[in-house]
Amino acid sequence: MTLRTDVSGGFSVRVWTAGSGSPLLYLHGLEGHPGDAPFLKRLAERHRVFAPELPGYGESSGFELIDGILGMALHHRQLVTSWGVGALDVIGHSLGGMLAAEFAAINPQLTRRLVLVDAYGLWMDDPQVPDPFVLNETELKAKKWAHPEAAGIEPSIFVADPANPGAAALQRSKNLSVATKFMWPIPDRGLRGRLGYVEAPTLVVHGTEDRLMPVAYADEFARLIPDAKVARIDDAGHLPMVECEDAFMEAVEGFLAG
Amino acid sequence: MKFHWFAEVTYPHLPADFPQKHKSAWVDPPVSLMDPTKVGEMYRMFLRLMEQADREGFDGLAVNEHHQTAFAMSPSPNLLAASLAGTTENAAILVIGDSIALYNPPTRVAEEMAYLDCLSGGRLIAGFVFGTPMDSVFSYGTPPVELRERFHEARNLILRSWQEQEPFAHNGKYNKLRYVNVWPRPVQQPRPPVWVPGSGSIETWDLVIDENYCYGHLSFSGLGSAKPLVDGFWEYVDKRGGDMNPNRMAFTQICCVAETEEQAEKDYAEAVRYFYTHNPTSPAYVQPPGYHTQATLQAQMARGGGRLTNEDRMKAARGELSFWEYDEKGFIIAGTPKRVRERIRELATSLRVGQLIPTLHMGNLPEETAAKNTELFGREVIPYLRDLWADQPDHWTPQVSQQRVAANAPTPAGVGR
Repeated sequence: MTLRTDVSGGFSVRVWTAGSGSPLLYLHGLEGHPGDAPFLKRLAERHRVFAPELPGYGESSGFELIDGILGMALHHRQLVTSWGVGALDVIGHSLGGMLAAEFAAINPQLTRRLVLVDAYGLWMDDPQVPDPFVLNETELKAKKWAHPEAAGIEPSIFVADPANPGAAALQRSKNLSVATKFMWPIPDRGLRGRLGYVEAPTLVVHGTEDRLMPVAYADEFARLIPDAKVARIDDAGHLPMVECEDAFMEAVEGFLAG
Repeated sequence: MKFHWFAEVTYPHLPADFPQKHKSAWVDPPVSLMDPTKVGEMYRMFLRLMEQADREGFDGLAVNEHHQTAFAMSPSPNLLAASLAGTTENAAILVIGDSIALYNPPTRVAEEMAYLDCLSGGRLIAGFVFGTPMDSVFSYGTPPVELRERFHEARNLILRSWQEQEPFAHNGKYNKLRYVNVWPRPVQQPRPPVWVPGSGSIETWDLVIDENYCYGHLSFSGLGSAKPLVDGFWEYVDKRGGDMNPNRMAFTQICCVAETEEQAEKDYAEAVRYFYTHNPTSPAYVQPPGYHTQATLQAQMARGGGRLTNEDRMKAARGELSFWEYDEKGFIIAGTPKRVRERIRELATSLRVGQLIPTLHMGNLPEETAAKNTELFGREVIPYLRDLWADQPDHWTPQVSQQRVAANAPTPAGVGR
């Protein structure tokens, strides 16, 4: 696997790549890129995985060129086109799920199968999505994980530097500031009206214990996307691919092989 | 130097156990604690106090904008300013300021400020603010990462709309207007003085230097806390070759004036305590991601908190300081007129401040005490500090208010250093 930097149209983004086989785009979630995550490596056993960092996150730049959700979808189209791999499978988690759904709606010709994992992008008055930006560390842990003690195993692309103890907080603030463009004050940028344009067969994966993004939203995504089914991952929170890796892999690979 | 009367429009009837029972006086304090009839009485009180300040020779009357808070019930500063513009004669109407990123279209602000300048006969100071996170990004829902861009688009549109002599099209990122042709226009030409307060953001420093605006450091933590930040500002101005004139710097300071020190404690101790203890802000609302840029966050980390420790701040907010500890640590300046003017001179000299915004009503202070504070400050403090920075031109307050205040200035015997 390699971590390279792709430059296109004013953007410079880090792309984690590994594996061979059918191409797969993975878009990371609200908090940041998972780096060398075990679940990404397992996906790379059967796929050629491309996991770009979102512009503005970590060390990737070009966020100022993004004018809203359409700009993000077009940025990802440009990236995918530059790889020359044709249509691919698309997996998006959390904020990345919202962006993956937009990508699939706008670029049906590039989307083979779509997997949304605990995705943002919809709003219901009941149950409402909690505001992720007001949570302190303890509250976030409690909402994010089925078992908060699992928090220690979360993979990240960020490498701590003992000489710069403030770097982690700065990095986190930078990442989340980009997310506010799409998720503040309500994580709804009109996706509901565009899900009908998704042509790819879709799997909506959701941790049953996700208290950041209530599981009822999985059913709502599945209702709005023409060809979609739901895979609930029991005993998992907002990151089922971390907390219940085997169940996640089984559901996703089963679907992608279908 | 100049003095602009100010008070946060604080709801004065919160229960004593408010700080224990509620996490935040901002964004989500329960409205069941507020009685609209009492709010009306309070608004009338503030108008009376500011009309008095105008008669007592203050240079300006300052009004501000906050949302969804018991701490400052002034949702639009233009409303209080509109009352004052019609009932006062001399002082500048210091709107500090309108949260211009929040208005769509921002020409609404251009129109209202022009109205204020017309009604007051050219006494408006146009303050533009980003708004606190609690105001702009929580109560009004602006994505923090867009706030600065929205602010600058609005600022440029407002300023242009005051100057263009022909209708023009504004095709902005956030505002689309085919026909901009603001009526009325401000009396002051080419525009009223512009002030932009900040909380230490480098980008705001660059703005005020580039445009030669008046910068405001508006805090209630006093000299010790502000010193590193304000020194940093002046070093930066100097480095960039900006105007070092102290009159381009404004500063807020709670002042409690009385006949004797014992009387000051008797008059103000409870209100000062109410002010600091009844203003909790939930930590969740203080530093949302994207409100400050990375450069500013890095500078904040490097700068630290100045002479005031975090423990001091916590104690102040919990009411664990005595009246004179609030004074000693700089949160307030209290005592006889003589003591107050000496400490203001020290503060203004140390921070290079030419525009002081003395906060003369705080918390649940009774009106008669605030009126006494205003009278003593106007008669026994201001005249003794007029010499400070008098050799420097003031481009940041309206000519009309400068002339009228000077013409009506009290000339008590023996005024001098």
